Amino acid sequence: MTLLESGSRTSRSSHGATAEDSRSGDLCLVVMETPNAPHSEAQAAVTDPPADLSQRLSVLLDRIGRGDQAAFAEFYQLTSRRVFGMARRVLIDPELSEDTTQEVFLQVWQNASKFDPKAGSPLSWLMTISHRRAVDRVRSSQSSTDREAKYGASTQNIDHDSVADQVGSRLEAEAVVRCLETLTETQQESVRLAYYGGLTYREVAERLNAAVPTIKSRIRDGLIRLKTCLGVS
Amino acid sequence: MTETNSGRNGRSGSFGDTVAMDLASGRAVDLAELYALDAVTEEERRAIEQYMSAAPAAERTEFFDRVRQARETLVRTFRVEEQPPADLFDRIVAQLPAQGGPDANTPAPPAPGQSAAGQFAPGQPVASQPASVQPGGGDELARARQRREERRRPGSTRRWLAGVAAAAAIALGGVGVGSYLADQNDPLNQVVRAGDLREASVDVAGGGTATLLISSSEDAAVVKMNGVPAPPAGKVYQMWLIPKDGSAPVSQGLMDEEALSKPAVVEGISSAAALGITVEPAGGSQSPTLPTVAAAPLGA
Repeated sequence: MTLLESGSRTSRSSHGATAEDSRSGDLCLVVMETPNAPHSEAQAAVTDPPADLSQRLSVLLDRIGRGDQAAFAEFYQLTSRRVFGMARRVLIDPELSEDTTQEVFLQVWQNASKFDPKAGSPLSWLMTISHRRAVDRVRSSQSSTDREAKYGASTQNIDHDSVADQVGSRLEAEAVVRCLETLTETQQESVRLAYYGGLTYREVAERLNAAVPTIKSRIRDGLIRLKTCLGVS
Repeated sequence: MTETNSGRNGRSGSFGDTVAMDLASGRAVDLAELYALDAVTEEERRAIEQYMSAAPAAERTEFFDRVRQARETLVRTFRVEEQPPADLFDRIVAQLPAQGGPDANTPAPPAPGQSAAGQFAPGQPVASQPASVQPGGGDELARARQRREERRRPGSTRRWLAGVAAAAAIALGGVGVGSYLADQNDPLNQVVRAGDLREASVDVAGGGTATLLISSSEDAAVVKMNGVPAPPAGKVYQMWLIPKDGSAPVSQGLMDEEALSKPAVVEGISSAAALGITVEPAGGSQSPTLPTVAAAPLGA
C-alpha cells in the first residue's frame, strides 16, 4: 500500500510529512530535518581551536549515529584530509589508501553511536580506527621488507610535513615541535617507524638492529614523554 | 638514561622479548603505549585484550587510561593531511548500507560527482551496487566480503522483517539483514496457521492502521500495514520490540515505501511488552526517535 504513489499531490512540505491527514502532525514531530551545513564550515577544520572542533565532531557523531547524512557529509569534510593523509603515509599506494579511507568512513557511519565522549576525543576515536585499518591493510598486503623500503623512501617527507606545514594552529605546531625535541632521536625514530611504517615493535627492533626490550621501552618512554610535554591528561 | 625499564609506576626489571612474557611478569600496563600505537601483532593484541578483560579493575583502568592518553598524544603529534580524490565521498555514500542516498537536505558533498541519489532513492528497487564504484582487481571480492561482515556486526544487525523492503534493502545489504526469511518454511505462513492466533489493530499516526496477527506458540507476530502513507522523503519506518524488562527497544528492521505493502514477521515476541513503529532517517537508527507513530501491546 503505497499512498505516496498517488501522492504528488501530498505535500512534501518543509516538515517532510507526506500524509494529508490531520494526524500527519505526529509524523512531523519525529522528523528531524537537518539544515544545510554551510560549506564554509569545512574550512573550520584547520583554524578551530581543538576544543571547538572536538565539540563539533561529537555533535556530528551523535547525529550520524541517528542516521543523519548531512552530519556525515560535514564530518567527512572536516576529517577526510586527516584520514586520507594518514592512509597515504602508511600505505603509500593511492588506491589502497582510498580503499582504506572508504572503509574507515563506512565504519564511522556504522559505529558512530558507539562513540563515547568520555573515552576520548572524536578525532582520537577516528584516527584510532584509521590507523588500525591502515596497519591491518599494510601488514596483509605488503611484506615488512617492502614496507621498510617504502617507508625509508618517504621518511623525509614525513619528517617535514608531519609537524610543521599541515598543523592547524601555529601554537599547537610549535608545541608539537618543542615536545618532539624532548624525545631522544632513537625514541622519535622508533615511534615514527611504528606509527607511519605500520611496524610492530619486533619489526622496529629488526630494522634498527636493536634489542626487542629496548625498542619496547623506547616507544613507551617516548610516548609518555610526549604526553607529559603536551599536557595530555 | 632514557631507556630504563622502570616504568612510571616504579616496576623494575625489563620488558621481555614477547608480549606473553610481559603479561606473565606483571607488566601488562606498560604495554599500553605499544597497544595504542598498534605496534603489536594481531595475536598479541588479542592476548592483551583477553588479559585485560580478566584483570582487576584498577589495572584495567590504568591500562585504558594510558591507552587513551597515548592516542590523544598521537593524534596531536602526527597530523599529516592530504586531500582525498574528489569523488571519494560519493563512492562512500554509494556504499552506505540501506541508505536513501543524499536527500534534499544533504549538503553538497565535497565534490559532487555522479549522483548517488537517483540510484538509491528509498523504495526504488536497486539491482546491485554500481560495479564501477571501485577499481576492480582480485581484492574486490575480499572488500565486498569485508563490507558484508561489517554490516552483520551486532548492534546494527537484528532480525530483519520477512518480506519487507526485499529488493532495495537486500540489494543494498540493508542495516539489519540478519535472517531474511525466504519463501520456503515461510514463518509468515507458520504464524498465520498457528492455532493460537490473536489479532490486534492499532492506528498509525499519519493515517492507516497496523494489524498484528500474534501467535504465542510461534513466538512471533505478523504485521500488516493498511493504508499507511509512505514515509516522508529520506525517512523510513522502523519497527521495535519493547522488552518487558525495561531494557532498550530492539530494532526489528526498516520499512520503506515499497515494504509497506507486504506483511512482515517479527519474531521473539515473548520477551516483549509491545511493538512500536517510529519514523527514522533512511538507514534506520540505533534507538527509536520518539514519539512512536504506532504502538501495539503484545501482552499475552
